[in-house]
Amino acid sequence: MSRESTLVGRTRARPGAFGFLTDTTLCIGCKACEVACKQWNQLPMDDFGFTGMSYDNTGDLGATTWRHVAFIERVADREGRRPTRLQPFQSNWLMLSDVCKHCVNAGCMEACPTGAIIRTEFDTVVIQQDICNGCGYCVPACPFGVPALSPLDGKAHKCTLCYDRLKDGLEPACSKACPTDAIQFGPVHALMDRAKARVAELRAQGVEAQIYGDEALGGTGGIGGLNAFFILTAPPEVYNLPAAPELPQRRVLPAFLTTALAALALGLATLVTFWRSKEVRHD
Amino acid sequence: MTEILRWQHRRAPGEPVSAETRDSYYGLPVIHGPHWRWSIVFYFVLGGLAGGSAVLAAAARLVGGHWARPIVRAGRYLAFLAVLPGPLLLIIDLGRPERFHHMLRVVKLRSPMSLGVWGLIGFTATAFLNALQQAAEDGWLGQRNPAAHFLRRLPARILAAASTLPAFFLAGYTGVLLGATAVPLWARNALRLGPLFLCSALSSAAAMLALLVGRGPGNARARHALERVEQVALLGELVLLEAVQRGSGPVVGRPLSNGLEGWAYAGTRLSAGVALGLHIVTKMLPRRLRPPLRLVASLVALGDAFLLRAAMMFGGRRSAEDPAATFAITRRPEDPARQAR
Repeated sequence: MSRESTLVGRTRARPGAFGFLTDTTLCIGCKACEVACKQWNQLPMDDFGFTGMSYDNTGDLGATTWRHVAFIERVADREGRRPTRLQPFQSNWLMLSDVCKHCVNAGCMEACPTGAIIRTEFDTVVIQQDICNGCGYCVPACPFGVPALSPLDGKAHKCTLCYDRLKDGLEPACSKACPTDAIQFGPVHALMDRAKARVAELRAQGVEAQIYGDEALGGTGGIGGLNAFFILTAPPEVYNLPAAPELPQRRVLPAFLTTALAALALGLATLVTFWRSKEVRHD
Repeated sequence: MTEILRWQHRRAPGEPVSAETRDSYYGLPVIHGPHWRWSIVFYFVLGGLAGGSAVLAAAARLVGGHWARPIVRAGRYLAFLAVLPGPLLLIIDLGRPERFHHMLRVVKLRSPMSLGVWGLIGFTATAFLNALQQAAEDGWLGQRNPAAHFLRRLPARILAAASTLPAFFLAGYTGVLLGATAVPLWARNALRLGPLFLCSALSSAAAMLALLVGRGPGNARARHALERVEQVALLGELVLLEAVQRGSGPVVGRPLSNGLEGWAYAGTRLSAGVALGLHIVTKMLPRRLRPPLRLVASLVALGDAFLLRAAMMFGGRRSAEDPAATFAITRRPEDPARQAR
């Protein structure tokens, strides 16, 4: 068995962690999750625009968009062949309701210099709005492009996995609103078992399904898995998801070491230069 | 404040949508880029200048003789003056500037920005003490003033040695900070940015100090020593600039080779080369031609430090918007598209 296959379906999520399983094969692109999220979290409307490329006029996750349904119209496959028949559970649309992944090891949280980003008792990642000072470091530190600074209040925002609802024993607004149960909420390990069974079932029907958010795909490079994970039927890049992202903070220690080495070399060079400096007779 | 994102999609005219959807989501960015702009670029330049001059002042104090006193004097003042605008530049960049002190709630060893805040405070403290002692020695605080007397009695060598660690840190951590993000250009060069910024910090500080030390006959030896350090640092910078370009590859390195950022990067390499070349050529020229050429070389080296930070900052912003660059560093090893690259 290859190293790759032992990582499939494996997550380092702590016992008792809660998360989402977003099964794209069940998504009908109704955007109820987007609306429910906006309603519950009282998020202001986005800049209305027409992207002109698909049914997706939301475009991206942002400071005021914490669920985003991506629409991919399959015009042709990678070889340019046009689809002639439908696979089970597949139209020629791919739809994915994207959300903060609530990484097991979260880049945004490790980057945050104020401690505003915390891990809650549900093992979700939340930005404390009374602490955030809008430094913006979490924004490029996220390998998935989730947090964003709001031009309205200058602070960073992202999905809280409805922390307030979880506190009251309610499931998050998006999964509650999802009419097809494409978004499922629950304990991560139970959801992962369900995802594995679902992928096996889909594969038996000839669908190229895979889990995005285990340690083999999506939760790679020290991230340790995603508490909000997905079932995909196309390469992650098609959904604008990186296949093998890395926890950016893994590079901190090596980078400091090379910098220290350079400092040592430059310091020695300076000392030697000054030490060996000779009297200058003429300029 | 970030501006509201308006959609741009980069389908080339006449290209079908499918050409884009094949390998990305309609060519939209995968990650969010940073909002940092000019204030951070200026902070990077000034932080490098401050750190570099503190290092040079300390080295001059530790191993230089009487001839090196002009370096110590100018270096200690410059280190403090150059770092002073730093906190201001950082605070005005915050989305909520009035909350700047929230940075002081925690120390996080894996967050270069958190470490940077503490490093900046540590550096400012040592630079302040060094500058204060220099002012006391220069008689700016009065001769009979007991505080000035106390400052003059502080062990100068220990003060110098104590300032070197925070000085190197301030000059180099900004590169580590950029490397610890998902921005493709920075992530790919995470190991090179710290050393690159250090080299540039030292060359710009040496150039600035050479200008400040001036042309006086008593300062020739000090200026020569500074110019030699500047040349070593410029050489290191040139090597690292080449390594960054090569290591980035054609896709991630796109902002380094075309567009405005590409011009800035080319300008960085050119100015580093020109400054180094001028210093070398000057030695072979008639004596009366040397001072103006040296002046030009030092000014070019200072411009180089600025161009480098601007090119890396805005180049990084551009690479964050390029889905091909993000996918180039996040494809799985067995993906044929990664092997092809």
